[in-house]
Amino acid sequence: MYPIATVSTQTSSIASFTNIPQTFTHLQVRAFVHDSGASSPADIALRVGSSTTTIDSGNNYAYHRLGGDGSSAFSSAATSSSFISCAYCPGSGISSTIMSVAIVDILDYTNTNKYKTVCSMGGYDANGSGYANFHSGLWLNTAAIQSLLIFGGSGGTSAYNTFQLYGITTA
Amino acid sequence: MSIFLQPLQTVTVGSGGASSISFNSIPQGYTDLVVKISARSNASGTTRDGLFITFNGSSSGYSRTNLLGLDSNATISNRTSSASNMQIGDMPAASASSNTFGNMELYIPNYAGSNYKSLISDYAAENNSTSSWIVGMFADLWSNTSAITSLTISTGGGSFVQYSLVSLYGVLRQGI
Repeated sequence: MYPIATVSTQTSSIASFTNIPQTFTHLQVRAFVHDSGASSPADIALRVGSSTTTIDSGNNYAYHRLGGDGSSAFSSAATSSSFISCAYCPGSGISSTIMSVAIVDILDYTNTNKYKTVCSMGGYDANGSGYANFHSGLWLNTAAIQSLLIFGGSGGTSAYNTFQLYGITTA
Repeated sequence: MSIFLQPLQTVTVGSGGASSISFNSIPQGYTDLVVKISARSNASGTTRDGLFITFNGSSSGYSRTNLLGLDSNATISNRTSSASNMQIGDMPAASASSNTFGNMELYIPNYAGSNYKSLISDYAAENNSTSSWIVGMFADLWSNTSAITSLTISTGGGSFVQYSLVSLYGVLRQGI
């Protein structure tokens, strides 16, 4: 598992990864997010792209959620979405020191015979509220992923937002 | 060498498909094993097919507990005990959206130790649908003190289709 890039921002909950190397087999994104511009909970959203710089922002995604809110479990789904929901993050009304953690896995991201499937685990606890999430998503495109955008809700500010991209090889 | 995830073996299914995928002669010098699976089944008349695992050719001592989100916004949890194999999840099958493969990660800590083998998996059998899909997590147990030297991944009814990919990794603890 090899680090590709890191985005640490104090002015936005948006991270863009471009020119993703095509030499790995799998990708993993690790996100540490608070979105002060959205109400809680906000989605940690993912989009990808088949070019080195352009992201697909069309309604070409589906996603499925499994989660718990501290009192009950829930599930939900969406198709024809403009993003994949990876987990929930805290937003306005919750201290900016409370962050969500998410680990997002994209397997076989360069395989042009497959739509791209995403699995992610994440959530946050705010000492009286919070969520535990396991989500999955689908990009309905067989193109290799060459760019990636991950963002909290509205892309609002936080002092500690950090996003890390890793590549994983196979034998 | 990547000491966090060291690639050990990889199987990519060819045009003829595969009824099962096996890893043999697993090196015993690591601490844990990780298996990453991108797979699809050709099981007909269904959007998903089960994924199962056995160790060292054994057909006894398997049990599991799960938590699932599925279909029309349902959530369930159930348990199987004393089974002949261990379900670790599901994958898309013939009636799921075309070109769609499921994702799974299986973590097997202390696989070479003399304890019973506890493992966890998380997975998604994706489908471009709000009414037929499944995501979930399994906690599994193989009630056997033998070190794991081989593992076989199989389906619930169909065969793995071409481009299904299974990767085996070794993980080292600090100090090794």
